[in-house]
Formats: sequence, C-alpha cells, structure tokens
Amino acid sequence: MSEVDDLVARIAAQLQKSGNASGTSTNAGTSTGSEKELGPDDYPLYQKHPDKIKTPTGKDVNEITLENVVNGKVDAKDMRITPATLKLQGEIAANAGRPQIQRNFQRASELTSVPDDVVLDLYNSLRPFRSTKQELLDTAKELRDKYNAPICAGWFEEAAENYEVNKKLKGDN
Amino acid sequence: MSSEIDETLLRNIIKGVLKEVQDSDTPISFGGQDTATATTPVAGAQKGAEPEKKLDWFQHVGLAKPGLSKDEVVIGVAPAFAEVLTQTMTKIQHKDILRQVIAGIEEEGLKARVVKVYRTSDVSFVSADVDKLSGSGISVAIQSKGTTIIHQKDQAPLSNLELFPQAPVLTLDAYRQIGKNAAQYAKGMSPNPVPTINDQMARVQYQALSALMHIKETKQVVVGKPAEEIKVTF
Amino acid sequence: MKRQKRFEKLEKRPVHLDGFVKNWDDEGLVALNGKNDPKPSIKIENGVVTEMDGKKKEDFDLIDKYIAEYGINLDNAEKTLNTDSVKIANMMCDPNVSRDEIIKYTTAMTPAKAAEVISKLNFAEMIMATQKMRPRRTPMTQVHATNTLDNPVEIAADAAEAALRGVPEEETTTAIARYAPMNAISIMVGAQSGRPGVITQCSVEEADELSLGMRGFTAYAETISVYGTDRVFTDGDDTPWSKGFLASCYASRGLKMRFTSGAGSEVMMGYTEGKSMLYLEARCIYITKASGVQGLQNGGVSCIGMPGAVVGGIREVLGENLLCMSLDVECASGCDQAFSHSDIRRTGRMIGQFIAGTDYLSSGYAAEENMDNTFAGSNMDVLDYDDYITLERDMAINGGIMPITEEESIKIRHKAAVAIQAVFDGLGLPQITDEEVEAATYGSNSNDMPKRDMVQDMKAAQDLMTRGVTVVDVIKALYDHDIKDVAEAVLKLAQQKVCGDYLQTSAVFLDGWKCTSAINNANDYKGPGTGYRVWEDKDKWDRLENVPWALDPQKLEF
Repeated sequence: MSEVDDLVARIAAQLQKSGNASGTSTNAGTSTGSEKELGPDDYPLYQKHPDKIKTPTGKDVNEITLENVVNGKVDAKDMRITPATLKLQGEIAANAGRPQIQRNFQRASELTSVPDDVVLDLYNSLRPFRSTKQELLDTAKELRDKYNAPICAGWFEEAAENYEVNKKLKGDN
Repeated sequence: MSSEIDETLLRNIIKGVLKEVQDSDTPISFGGQDTATATTPVAGAQKGAEPEKKLDWFQHVGLAKPGLSKDEVVIGVAPAFAEVLTQTMTKIQHKDILRQVIAGIEEEGLKARVVKVYRTSDVSFVSADVDKLSGSGISVAIQSKGTTIIHQKDQAPLSNLELFPQAPVLTLDAYRQIGKNAAQYAKGMSPNPVPTINDQMARVQYQALSALMHIKETKQVVVGKPAEEIKVTF
Repeated sequence: MKRQKRFEKLEKRPVHLDGFVKNWDDEGLVALNGKNDPKPSIKIENGVVTEMDGKKKEDFDLIDKYIAEYGINLDNAEKTLNTDSVKIANMMCDPNVSRDEIIKYTTAMTPAKAAEVISKLNFAEMIMATQKMRPRRTPMTQVHATNTLDNPVEIAADAAEAALRGVPEEETTTAIARYAPMNAISIMVGAQSGRPGVITQCSVEEADELSLGMRGFTAYAETISVYGTDRVFTDGDDTPWSKGFLASCYASRGLKMRFTSGAGSEVMMGYTEGKSMLYLEARCIYITKASGVQGLQNGGVSCIGMPGAVVGGIREVLGENLLCMSLDVECASGCDQAFSHSDIRRTGRMIGQFIAGTDYLSSGYAAEENMDNTFAGSNMDVLDYDDYITLERDMAINGGIMPITEEESIKIRHKAAVAIQAVFDGLGLPQITDEEVEAATYGSNSNDMPKRDMVQDMKAAQDLMTRGVTVVDVIKALYDHDIKDVAEAVLKLAQQKVCGDYLQTSAVFLDGWKCTSAINNANDYKGPGTGYRVWEDKDKWDRLENVPWALDPQKLEF
C-alpha cells in the first residue's frame, strides 16, 4: 500500500513540476501498470464507478440501505471511507490539478485504520506545548511500526525538529 | 439593539485608550482608596509594557501555588488587570467586578482565590492555566476588557463550561452570577447557564475598542513568567 | 460652537454608531500596503527555499517553514516573482486569460507577492477577477441555524426552511458548549427534512468538533482556524503541523472540511508583528493550500469590525476572498457577522461578493433572527430574506437564497419539528412536546418557544456522548417512528462519507445526492456569454420571477 502511495506522491510531484495542471490520466503508463489512474471524467465516483467503492468490511457501497441498517447487517463500522477510495479520490484531485489535496488524502488514508480516540490523541499531541521532542519521535515510531503509517510518521518527525527550533515543545511556554 | 450606549462616552474611551497606548508615560493620580501609590516595572516585560501601579486593595503575595482544598474557585485575571487598565470597555471598574465574582462564589459557601497570569493575555489560556491551580479544578478568567470564561481542568483550553464573549453586555449582576455558577460547578452541580443578552450590534460598536484594549493587555504579557497570588481587600 | 443643523442630523444616522479608526501600521491597523510589509522575494537552492519575502531560512517561523515546504510551486516561483505584479493583476481581471493560466502564477507566489498583486486591483477589477476565479461554476451560499437557548426544535425548523430555500450547507454552534451533540443532531435532522442533500456542521472546539464528525452527527467542518502570525497561531492552540494533521483526520473519516481565517484576527488577538491585514491573510491562504485543504472561509469573518474600521478595509476583504479563489481553493466569503448599524453599509459590505458570485457568498447568512444568532449576529438574517431575494431578482443574480411561500414554510418547519421530536424520543433524550412542535412550526424566534429544562438537556447531551450514540441510532429512531424519508436522507448522507466525492474542491450535493464540485461543475467564465447566468438556470429563474409578492399583470382584478 505504502509503496503505491509513494509512487502516487512522486507522480503527483512530477505532474506539478511539469506544470501539467489539467492533464488527465496522461501518466497511466508510469503507474504500477495494473490500473489506469482516475481523473476528472471518473467523477463523481458514486455515479461513475459505484463498483469501485467498498466499505471497510468489504461490502458494496450500495448495500448501505435502510433495510440493512435496521436489520443490523450494516452498522457504523461500514460507514467509513477506505484507503482505496481515498486513493482514487486523490488521483482525481491530482489529475484535476490539485496535488496538495492528494497528499492530504495520503496522510488521511493511513489514518483510516487508527481508532477514533487515538486519532484525537495524535492531533492533541501535535498542538503547541503538549509534547517533548522524544514523545513526538516515539509517536512517529509507533505510527510507522504499529499502524503502518510512514507518511504520518514523517509528519511527526518533521514537527519534532521544527518544534524544537521554534520553541513549541512541552515546557517552552 | 438591546443596549443603549452613550456615544460620547464611547468616543472618550476610544480616545483615552488610544492616548494611553501611544503615550509611554501615563500620569498617576494620588489620593483616594483605590489609587496607586507607586509603580513597579515587571521583570522581563516587553517593549511597550507599562509598569504596574501599586494598589493597596490588590497586592502581590508571591507565586501562585496549586490549591488542595476542593472548596475553592480560582479567579485568573489577565496581565493588565487592575494595575495597568482599571476598567472594562463599558467602564465597569475591575475592582467592582472582582468584588461581585468573589461574592458570588462566597454565597455558595466556597472560597475564592485570585491569581494574576502573565504568560498570556488570551482569556481561554488564562483560564486553562489557573484551573490547574484550583483545588476544585474550576476557574473563572477575566480579561481587562471584561471578557470572561468559566473553565474546568479536564477541558481543552479553547473549550469551556460557560463563555461570555460579549463583554459589553455583561453587568455587575452577571459577574456575580458567574461567580455563583462557577462555585456550583465546583460543588459538582449543574447550574442553569448565566443568562446573557445577545446583542449582535455590540461587536460592531466595540470591536475596534476591544482590539485596542487587547493590544494594551498583550503588551503586558511576559513569556515564561509564572502566575502570582493576589491578596484582595475591599 | 454653534451647531450646523445638517451636521446635527447626520450625526444621528446609524452609520455613526459603527467604530472607525485611522491607520496604525505598527499594530497592524492597516488594510493593505502596510509600511512594515515585507518586499516579495524568493531564493531557491537545490530545491529548497533559502529566503522568502526578505527573510532568511534560519529566521523562518513555523508558518514560513510550512509555506516554503508545502505551499508554493517552486518550479514557477522565480519566474512569477520576477513578473511585474501589475501584469499579473491585469491578467486576473482580463476575461481573455484563462483561469488555469492564472493559477500557474498564483500557486507559485510568496505571500508578500500575492498581497502586492491583489493590492493593484480596484474594487471593480476584483469583482471581474472573482467571477472568473471562483472554483465552482454555480454560486451558492451557506447559512447559520442557531438560537440563544440552544432549542433543538427551533434549530431543526430553521434548518429545514433554509434547506428549502436552496442552501447546500448549514452551520450551527452552541450558546453553551455542552449542547454540541444535540445541536449537531438537530441541524442535521432539520436540514435533511428540508431537502435531502444539504450538509451540516457544528462549530465547537477543534477536538470536540472532530469527535462529532466521527460519530456521524456532522458532515463537514469549517471553523478550523489558521492565523498569519506565529504567536496568534499558538494562542489559537495549534501549529501549522497540527492543523495540517487535523485536516487529514477529517479526510480519514470521509468528512469535508475547510479552514477559517480572515483579516483582523491577528489585531484582535494582539500580535500582528506590525504587518497589514492582507499580507497576514495571504499567509493564511498559503497555509491552507499547503495543507491540501480544499477550501477556506475568509473575508474578515468574525473580526470584520477590524478591516471595517480602517480605510479601504472592505476592498481588502474582497481582495482576500479573491486571493483564496485564485489559489484554486473553495471560498466561503464571509458576510457572516453583524457588520454595521447602517442598512446601506451592510449591503455595501456584501455587494462585491454578491455581484461576482463566490462558492458561498456568505459563510453564514442567519437562518434565524439575528437576536438568536449565537455567532454574535450575521450581516443579513431571516428578516432580510425578502429584501435579499428582491436584490437577486432586480439584478438577475443567484445569491443562493430562493423565495418560498408561507404554506411551504409551515409545512417544512412542521416536518422537521416532528422528525426531531421522533429522534429525541428514539434516543431517550428529554421529551419534545407537541406544543413545542407547534411553536417551532409557527414561531420566528426563541421567544416564541416554550422554555425547556436546559440542565436536563445538557446532561442528556453529555450522556449521549458517553453512551456512544452514533448516526445509526438516529437513523433507527426515525425509521421506528415511521419517518422513512428523513431516515433515508440521513442514511444517504452517511453513505456519501464512504464515497468521498464531496471531499473535492467546492463540493456540495444537488437533488438526488448528485455531487457537484469544481471538478464536474468547474467555473468556465471567459467573458460575456460564458459562465453561470441565473436566467439560464430555469428553476432558479422561475422562482425569482414568481416571487410571492409579484403580481400577475394578466390576472389583476380592478
């Protein structure tokens, strides 16, 4: 998963560099070769490619019906976006000229499997004066090892360095 | 429009604040029970900060320490309170505000402790700083312009139990009620929130003045300076 | 002095109740071109920014670092910085230069360059540029639905009425923070009763707000504030890295979000570093871009009194909206705070955005009487509906709010009130009586509502969070009370969070849950005869033509 994400990030960066702001799917040949990247013409995904959208438990998006909710076949766990869907939306965003949005979705993609309370704690730990440098680095390691979230881990490491220089660590206030 | 505001009064306040902010030397008047007898420059103060007037009713008695008694509410005041600015946007005296908030707390049978915060002028962060000092975990924070908040220890800094963002609509009665409610939260009760008027024109009228007063308060911020215990005598 | 009679009369005009100040550059009381604003510059060595806007890399604060790292397309940066700002400004308002072409420049500027370019445009040129640079072709607006008593039935009824009037997004907040989950549910159920597809949010403290979204009580978030100076950012209890991460947290739950900024916030919070409002706002816009956030609410917003108080401030406000859209970022363009005692002046405050059209003309038109607006009042409220609609009709502009009849209003308000009554019953919240349903149906403000036991409501709201109630319970409650269409709408909303379509720039839902955004409804304005024109939008045009207060000249009886 992360290899693909890295690749996508690289492609996005290349796209941005070449100033190819509105190119659609021109780089399909450079992707892993399996599937063509999606672009603006594939949007909205729900109308154009409902088959590509699954719930976290592998159900089809159209299985989210009133009946299935009432009889308990579908519950809150199913009403979550998956990394695969965020990847597709990221491709659409990047190919519509918005690579930054794709990078945001890549971080988000890694967080889909992180529990709600942990996500809230992660956010709070990045707020000013909450964490020591070591705590941020430890969190980065946990993100990498436990949640397979290398992009977010990098984000925490970058914050740790910058917070040290710019005095936003615990005790700096 | 629900509150009548005297336009001339407003102009005078703005003029006054502008003048005060621009003049580095504010004349100090002597005489009368509330007045200053000397000034103390605050160590580590930033450029543009004014020395604090020494007041006999508002005395510094050392660093503020965490309280152990569950029956106290700590009132945190912002850096310019009482000793640099003396009244709110609507000319309510800081002394009267403290008197009312303390009375409200005491009416509920609890003790009030006053602390002055230096490291921030932001009302939420003042409250989040001093609720850690409060034995009950409940704090009331008051800015010089009058904005007030009730905060509880386990809340995020920018959350609150009750927030009174529109200082111009706050009356002395409201301040007393704020003290009362804070004490009730400290007792584990769930009081009805203090009713306030929602005057949508207050912001229009006061935003510029509010900014100017806050600029002045912010100049009194001293990064890293711990909060000080205040002994108040009325 | 012997008073001059005309001057005595003038002094009594409402405009004189507003606050005005002269410039004070060193405290940031200056709209644009502040005397301490940096000169634009950029130095790039081996792909790394080593100087930006006159500041060396080693002196960068966190905001500079973040923008230099993520916010600027470095490949075009040197070329853009070397292009005359007047030339770029000229391209922006020239309909013959395409939107895509402009974005190549704007995304490669530094904040100081961006502020310099915007400062070359006069108000009329800004309007011209805005109608081209808005990301979504169709202009819309957003409303607030709140009341000072946090009355859930009134929130639901007001939300439903606004939905029927055509808004795609609605925002609530609380008078008392602890009410948050209840208000979030009330506005969601009300809006879905009014028109399935309207998305709703509840503005509260950052972490609390995210938690509401995770439970499915909200569909998007907006009040994720960013600021232009390091110190104020810190006082806002965040850093660019925590805010950027928060953006990803929302996307990870399939929730749309935009940031909030706006001129004057740094003045209000006391740390401007002596820079102008436009320069500081430009930094906020680049932070937003850098975070990969699809949108921004800006244009003074809650601090509108500050740009409003200085010379040229309202021009600056339109300028910051324009800069946001020019960076290809969705814009909810302010006009959401009580601004003036003068009706003439508050109309003037929104006229630029109104004529040009933005993604959301207002980031909070008051869908309640202003006395009930707990965002401290909006620039326009429900009692201005007919004036506003008449302006749309007069000028042939889609301002995002359409007329409805009294009968339609009664019907939809009742529907929403009954729906929220059912949800409260199903979730075991304090009862909503039939008397309250009736009052919300026919009432106009919270004085018309029977008083509720607020202490009980607040306890129930907290309890609801502790019990782990989610949107699934809301759907079931509606279903069990046989309100299947609203149950279906709330379900569809939850389903859309699985799809992610509405995470794209300027995305909202049309009827039938059709997602429309800057991707499939991109602004194609290229001068007369192109772009969005309300008379080509048949449904809207019919509604404006046939306002209930227009007579049918062929059916008049004399």
